[in-house]
Amino acid sequence: MPSKMLQYAYYPGCVAQGACHELYLSTAALTQALGIELLELKKAACCGSGTYKEDSQLLEDSVNARNIALAESQNLPLLTHCSTCQGVIGHVDERLKDYQRTHPAYIEQINGLLEQESCLSYGGSTSVTHLLWVLIGDYGIEALQERVTRQLSELKCAAFYGCYLLRAQKSLPYDDPFHPESMENVFRAVGATPVYYRGRTQCCGWPIASYAPTQSFTMAGTHIQEAIEADADCMVTPCPLCHLNLDSRQPEAEKVIERQLGLPVLHLPQLVALALGVKPDKLGLDQHVVSTQPVLEKLGVR
Amino acid sequence: MQVLFKVIRQKQNTAPSVQTYPLDVDPENTVLQGLNRIKWELDGSLAFRKNCRNTICGSCAMRINGRSALACKEKVKNELMNELAISAAKLPEITVAPMGNMPVIKDLVVDMSRFWEHLEAVEPYVSTQARAVPEREFLQTPEQRSRLNQSGNCIMCGACYSECNAREVNPDFVGPHALAKAQRMVEDSRDTDTEARLEEYNKGTQGVWGCTRCYLCNAVCPMGVEPMDRIGEVKQQILERKDAQDSRPVRHRKVFIDLVKQGGWLDERKFALLVVSNTLRDLRGLVSLAPLGLRMLASGKFPLRFEPSQGTKEVRSLIEAVQRQNSQTSDK
Repeated sequence: MPSKMLQYAYYPGCVAQGACHELYLSTAALTQALGIELLELKKAACCGSGTYKEDSQLLEDSVNARNIALAESQNLPLLTHCSTCQGVIGHVDERLKDYQRTHPAYIEQINGLLEQESCLSYGGSTSVTHLLWVLIGDYGIEALQERVTRQLSELKCAAFYGCYLLRAQKSLPYDDPFHPESMENVFRAVGATPVYYRGRTQCCGWPIASYAPTQSFTMAGTHIQEAIEADADCMVTPCPLCHLNLDSRQPEAEKVIERQLGLPVLHLPQLVALALGVKPDKLGLDQHVVSTQPVLEKLGVR
Repeated sequence: MQVLFKVIRQKQNTAPSVQTYPLDVDPENTVLQGLNRIKWELDGSLAFRKNCRNTICGSCAMRINGRSALACKEKVKNELMNELAISAAKLPEITVAPMGNMPVIKDLVVDMSRFWEHLEAVEPYVSTQARAVPEREFLQTPEQRSRLNQSGNCIMCGACYSECNAREVNPDFVGPHALAKAQRMVEDSRDTDTEARLEEYNKGTQGVWGCTRCYLCNAVCPMGVEPMDRIGEVKQQILERKDAQDSRPVRHRKVFIDLVKQGGWLDERKFALLVVSNTLRDLRGLVSLAPLGLRMLASGKFPLRFEPSQGTKEVRSLIEAVQRQNSQTSDK
């Protein structure tokens, strides 16, 4: 375990406060169990999930510079638990840090806007990190392993990373974007067996679900089916947007690919918290569209 | 050093098989140099495309260790660093396979007909009127030219098209290479067809709205074109000209920003209702939402309330300030 208490400025994101409330619950339960302190950014705003940038780069940069500045004012790293939030805010941070040296006029433009609207200005003094990276790096995989009270040895887990966690930032702290292992390393730390399949680094289809449902659900369905064929008991994702397409829309995916699926999809903190002995009712495992009961039965957890 | 080249070989309409070639190579060599030696010294029947050896012609794109790349650009030593599964017991391996999203003709040679047809579909030529040679030279400011820099670097190797997740599920989607070229046409100050082009690229999901933002094109492009960002720039041009009633993809973007202005965070219930059912105007859209809504209610997943961010007022005025600044710049 790290020598001093880990603290983060916690950026909850939209989905964990809405349709994936179970992610909000399980992040709280996991960090509590590990003694990680979260200070929630109550004044933060939606990162835009890549949509702001389609309107204008300045919009994505300004709103997220404001989000990062909120964490800077607490002298804490900004913590995400969503691949998309991480990719968007993390990339804005790495680009703006670069621009401080190469395009200082642009930073002035952004800080001008922020100051004019009574927001804190961006200083480039903190970092943006994902819960997965906190487990792997800050807390440490061995330290995590030592905290496991319930080995998940019966469980075969298929990671689903989410595009933005792997490819939105120019550099990743722990993974090769084409051959990531951080999720699989967490699985091994909690005693579970990783399942490898092509879809684990691909797109879930969520961004086009509102207007191209057949294409979107074909993506989701194909990945779920591949995971099942690779003998997975469940999928585990560090991205609630992927979760929406893989879990909430799994019945539609079944119709589109004309196969029965029924694969439970867990959020990363749910899986890890189960291994630390946290009770399922603290993790919102009953708030899934595809029942997580088979996973709990396999683990002998009630 | 000894390296095993595992090549995925295939003849038309037959199942692929793996053939392994042991090779003593200099780690500084490129993967293409390795393949050439296999062809010249070990097995003349191995088929692959190659030409310039210099990251210019774009002929030798193939899947190297799981992602599309130019064989003449990637060095053996870097591939072995990427190879996480090296164990002391066996020789290091490099896996080479044909590109995806295109049928295999033989071994590493794929049929790129659709790739070229899709490029043709965006009319990748500066408009005829603009090509009429003026009395003096075409004038373009350095700033105007700089907007074409990234897309202008494309060498049409096919790496982006090979990995494109949208192309996989949507055979009509013209692909990242074509849409990066579309951006180059839209931004070219000499082209006279900008408005007609934008109408075309805005249609259905064959154009820019087919992109699912998987970032794979950006990740594999050997020339730094970053096609997904170029697609985003075409979307910006369309969004500047259209309102929420134009189409569902456009409404998706407009409603998104409006809702963040209202609540700081996105209220997903309102988002679904406004985008898919178009504020109840689209009844089929509304009906399509019903099973999802009921299912989420039944599983206790439906968000019954929405709590706005405590910073909503600040965020709203910030977004409005950005929008004012943007509209001033586009008026110039």
